[in-house]
Amino acid sequence: MIKIQLVDDEANILSALKRLLRPQGWEIHGFTDVEEALGSLREHNYAVIISDYQMPTADGVTYLQFAKQRQPDAVRLVLSAHGDRNSMIKAINQAEVYRFLSKPWDEHEIVAAIKSAIDLHLLRAENRHLLKQVQHQQTLIRAREQELLRLEQENPGITRVMRDDDGSVLLDDDEPR
Amino acid sequence: MPHTDMSEREQLSARLEQANRQLLQSEKMAAIGQLAAGVAHEINNPVGYVYSNLQSLETYLGDLFRLTDAIDSADSVADLQSIKRNIDYDFIRTDLGDLLAESREGIERVRKIIAAMKDFSYVEDEAFKLANLHQGIETTLNVVNNELKYKAEVVRDFGDLPDIECILSQLNQVVMNLLVNAAHAIEGFGRITIRTRQDNDQVILEVEDNGKGIAEEHLTRIFEPFFTTKPVGKGTGLGLSLSFNIIEKHNGRMDVHSTPGQGTCFRISLPVRQPATEDKP
Ligand SMILES: Nc1ncnc2c1ncn2[C@@H]1O[C@H](COP(=O)(O)OP(=O)(O)OP(=O)(O)O)[C@@H](O)[C@H]1O
Ligand SMILES: [Mg+2]
Repeated sequence: MIKIQLVDDEANILSALKRLLRPQGWEIHGFTDVEEALGSLREHNYAVIISDYQMPTADGVTYLQFAKQRQPDAVRLVLSAHGDRNSMIKAINQAEVYRFLSKPWDEHEIVAAIKSAIDLHLLRAENRHLLKQVQHQQTLIRAREQELLRLEQENPGITRVMRDDDGSVLLDDDEPR
Repeated sequence: MPHTDMSEREQLSARLEQANRQLLQSEKMAAIGQLAAGVAHEINNPVGYVYSNLQSLETYLGDLFRLTDAIDSADSVADLQSIKRNIDYDFIRTDLGDLLAESREGIERVRKIIAAMKDFSYVEDEAFKLANLHQGIETTLNVVNNELKYKAEVVRDFGDLPDIECILSQLNQVVMNLLVNAAHAIEGFGRITIRTRQDNDQVILEVEDNGKGIAEEHLTRIFEPFFTTKPVGKGTGLGLSLSFNIIEKHNGRMDVHSTPGQGTCFRISLPVRQPATEDKP
């Protein structure tokens, strides 16, 4: 299940968004309180985090910076009533937000933005998964190499055992034909 | 020659006056610009969710019409019931009430902000007239009575006042803002005292409450537009900045004394007569 976190100090914004996004079938968690939103980052893995820009206790960019530390894979969006350039620049540089959405929002626009954020999240998760796999395989290979080295040290030549065509071990020191 | 001297002086003072007017105008524009930026933010929030709710409403209506249109075309009641389940009728039904109530709340907030904006701009046709401040206070008390009666006992400590030159409807608005703020500051049931007296060519008006008071660090900010400590949606933070503006326009002063935990007193002094404006002889 795709989980999405919404943070806005205004409850009516949260319910309007939940309402609008309901047909998409995502699990949506709304928070008016930044502390609670932070807390929930410990309990849920979010695909997308959307935060208001200006809130009384913390500004959205600061919140998203925290969120980035806790859940680097969650894609961050800002929803702002400001729309001025400075706030946009700050959001992009400091919290590496993926999109900057403005209030009032349009259904298609916001759904499209969230969908592509989810795609990005899945891509990142897939990347991370593949990276892990590669790393795991590399450690296996390294362990095997080390074992071979150890064997070679104890019994020089053992790792270069020669076999004939049907697989039987050749015990003489001659080169195989 | 004294004659040319005179006309040079006249020219100079005319230029000075023009420069002054321009300065005033640019100050006004700057203030409006600042206000507009703040207002855009304040308005975009409610407009944001109302607009979003309208889009949801459109979806709901589409679904509901699918159901009602099917009344004519469906083969059986079971078909209708299946559509009804499909569109999540029960959810739509309960959510519609919330959707409308929240949207109404948003529109109400926008309305309030626009109304306040109007009062910021100088309304030319409202003239200064001699009026009785006590009468204004009584009118205002009638208007806000509902908000006050469960929150506080209102004590009138009125002195003898001459009629003052003012725009009474605007002073009423100031008194209303102060009274509502006082009522909001009171937890439980408290007391609001309205005091008036004359002090030479000034009249003094005080509105005092025994509510929770204003924190020291907020004292310098309460007159800023949009500064509020009230929950989102409850206070727009325009009441005091608006009032400050009105008092300034009346060439008066407004200040505040507050002790956290004990109460707050707003004090306004107004000249009995407005100073003659320059263009009057
Ligand atoms: N009598 C009072 N006692 C305590 N605090 C007060 C009082 N009057 C004003 N304040 C503080 O000053 C702030 C600003 O007041 P102001 O009237 O400008 O806005 P508001 O009451 O919050 O919103 P509104 O626009 O609805 O009036 C309040 O939020 C409150 O914190
Ligand atoms: Mg107020």
